[in-house]
Amino acid sequence: MSNPHTVPTGRSGPESPQAIIRSRVALDRFLTFGAVIVLFAVFSITAKNFFTVRSVLSLLLQTSTTTLIGIGVTFTIITAGIDLSIGSVVALTGTVSVIAALAGVPIWLSWLVGVAMGAVIGLANGLLITGLKLPPFIATLGMTFVVRGVALTITNANAWPAPEAYGALGNDTLFKTGPQFPGISYPVLVMIVVALLCGFLLRRTRIGRYTYAIGSNEEAARLSGIRVPWVKIFNYILCAAIAGVVGVILASRMVTSQPNSASGYELNAIAASVIGGTSLMGGVGTVGGTVIGSFIMGILTVGLTMQGANYFMQQIVVGLVVIGAVAVDQIRRK
Amino acid sequence: MAARGRSAETQTPCAGLSIVFGTALCVHGRKGHIDVNEVILQVEGVSKSFPGVRALDGVSFDLRRGEVHALVGENGAGKSTLMKILSGVHQPDEGTVRFKGREVRFHDSTQARDAGIGIIYQELNLIPHLSVSANIFIGREPLTRFGTMDERKMNADAVAILERLNLRLDPAITLNRLPISKQQMVEIAKALSFDSEVLIMDEPTSALTESEIDELFQVIHTLRDRGVAIIYISHRLEELKHIVDRISIFRDGRHVSTDDYSSITLEEVVSRMVGRRLEKQFPARRNVPTAEKILEVHGIRRAGILHDISFDLFRGEILGIAGLMGAGRSELARAIFGADRMDSGDIAIEGRRLSLRSPSDAIRAGIAYLSENRKQEGLAVKMQLAENVTMANVGAVSSLLGVISRSREMNASRRYVEELTIRTPSLTQVVNNLSGGNQQKVVVAKWLFCDSKVLIFDEPTRGIDVGTKFAIYELIERLAREGVGVIMISSELPEILGMSDRVLVLHEGRLEATLVTKDTTQEEILNFAAGLGRKT
Repeated sequence: MSNPHTVPTGRSGPESPQAIIRSRVALDRFLTFGAVIVLFAVFSITAKNFFTVRSVLSLLLQTSTTTLIGIGVTFTIITAGIDLSIGSVVALTGTVSVIAALAGVPIWLSWLVGVAMGAVIGLANGLLITGLKLPPFIATLGMTFVVRGVALTITNANAWPAPEAYGALGNDTLFKTGPQFPGISYPVLVMIVVALLCGFLLRRTRIGRYTYAIGSNEEAARLSGIRVPWVKIFNYILCAAIAGVVGVILASRMVTSQPNSASGYELNAIAASVIGGTSLMGGVGTVGGTVIGSFIMGILTVGLTMQGANYFMQQIVVGLVVIGAVAVDQIRRK
Repeated sequence: MAARGRSAETQTPCAGLSIVFGTALCVHGRKGHIDVNEVILQVEGVSKSFPGVRALDGVSFDLRRGEVHALVGENGAGKSTLMKILSGVHQPDEGTVRFKGREVRFHDSTQARDAGIGIIYQELNLIPHLSVSANIFIGREPLTRFGTMDERKMNADAVAILERLNLRLDPAITLNRLPISKQQMVEIAKALSFDSEVLIMDEPTSALTESEIDELFQVIHTLRDRGVAIIYISHRLEELKHIVDRISIFRDGRHVSTDDYSSITLEEVVSRMVGRRLEKQFPARRNVPTAEKILEVHGIRRAGILHDISFDLFRGEILGIAGLMGAGRSELARAIFGADRMDSGDIAIEGRRLSLRSPSDAIRAGIAYLSENRKQEGLAVKMQLAENVTMANVGAVSSLLGVISRSREMNASRRYVEELTIRTPSLTQVVNNLSGGNQQKVVVAKWLFCDSKVLIFDEPTRGIDVGTKFAIYELIERLAREGVGVIMISSELPEILGMSDRVLVLHEGRLEATLVTKDTTQEEILNFAAGLGRKT
């Protein structure tokens, strides 16, 4: 090495700035993940029956929907955008999927129809944002009403019962061994698979790299030859398609189409993403962080319920956690 | 705000001038004449250093009431530092500033403004969505007795100020509905509403058309006749003759001379601005331009910005592009790079015609553009060094399915860190934490990693310290030697002269001259850049 200041090997002593930065990243991870452990421990001690196989499995199931749409919206937030339409997308995709099943489409295909419907709405969002150059907030806010309206119109605002087999995805479990272990729900497995795939996509592939680049500096990304509109459209499609997965899961769990369901889900998803360290300014965020953020919210909700705190109290606590998480982040940055 | 009411209530011959012109404009009324020899502002032995630079070195200079005093010098001559000291943004390390006979030391720009020294920056400091009067009175809006804003008084006062500038403007109109020239007038009106007796104008004409400039000059005359002292900074030497009384020349942080404008020629001004310079600012030039055209540009037009520009770039050549601010240099580069649309024009690389619709087309053809705004347009500063290096060519370290190989990415960026001696604690360092020079090297690495054939450097050394400048020059020279074509846009003429083989000089979007560097001089380039043509 000709230059003593250049340390390109990536290895350095404990005093080097790199080591400090690395330990800082480790600290960040520890802090957020540590919060999950601490919360879990607190509720295990204070709430009876919190730390049981059954309640842990139920926690996983309950948290899976927020986690999934949180992952989706994280992609759009990293590009410095947002998707407010996902709650409505969940409702419409579930509805369309149930209608398909009722129309005689094979059950497995009707599930995919729901996901495809989500992708189509995502495409529309992406085109509004890149083609008409609407701010993502406005484009997806408008789509929230449009999509909800479509769901209500085609069902006449009624819940339609789905064929019994349609409920398998939402209600069956894997590895069931009997009453002690009721098995892992399919939605939980879907969550795990989607989280792993999306984490890989974001961290290890070109499209993921471009997602960060656009959020970090859109003009620099464009001048680096990145086709910014395509990457954005991809992100909105991915986000809405995942919302489609959630729509199908929820419809399956109820074994009905629910055109009125899932309103406000987008806010839970955004909250999970933000607690997990995603920056609304763009360029920052991870799938893992969002998963942890979602679980912090889930554990709080379940734990507080088991302690007997009512729903209104839970709302207050979750709200304070969102504010607290970002406040802590701001303070530590200084 | 209470103090501001004073002159409005006073019945003097000046009362008609309303609250705003205060002493400055009443001088005429009281004394019947303006004492043009009265020194209103005196700077003595002022020095100011920043880390690594002595920006001002014992500067003395005086300003008289009722004169327009031009301040000229090249970039880095110390003009803007002096302006920032006068307007309270910076404080001098040594020396004194006397204003109306008293020594003053402003701690911030508000103090200077309240004392009566106003400054109008090239970039206007106005709020586009507010009305004209709201902009003028922002932060000190007159109130009604109910505590709400007194819009009627605000508008009436605004009209009074604007009338003094011979301007008829609806004070309630939203600012962004006015052309830039009118917005600038609003800025001037705002400065005057603080009873400014000294007004500093930094490149006020750079965004104006010919007729708007005439209008501005009339306003400047009006102000001068009322006794306001004006410091006028401009690179456009040819326009000075219309308004300037005296001219001071700065170079390398020093005051060179002050003369009556009538007693000095423009040629003298230019040669004093240029002066003699230090040796060994630039590396030995060993690149040899070949006869092989690597880039051909023909007939680029963009309405109002670029007018029929054609030139060739040869393999191994460093082609400088000189011109004043607003001459269209960056716009030309961005058009060649596909970043801005153009109305017509052909671009060919190695004889192959390109159709450029976006930067990605240009990059694939082998053109790279290193923007003058590194942080805004060149780097994703929140991302890692390695990620920035591969950003324009991630495909080269990815599998067919688009999965990035982290180890290939690290190897690639390690190579450039060594080759360009980028000083960084690690390859995963976030770029924001690197110094300006190292950030510039990261941008260079990004484009080298694309195997670019043509590299366009836009102000490559702006904001970079002297030591690193040399390293950037060496790099540019080496790139040319290794067979790329380099275009170097620069506002620093020594840099153009020291580094280029040929120079294109632009003036108001036109290619004014193509000069062979070793046969030209700084004066000649400046003359073309100012639109004065070849001097006889």
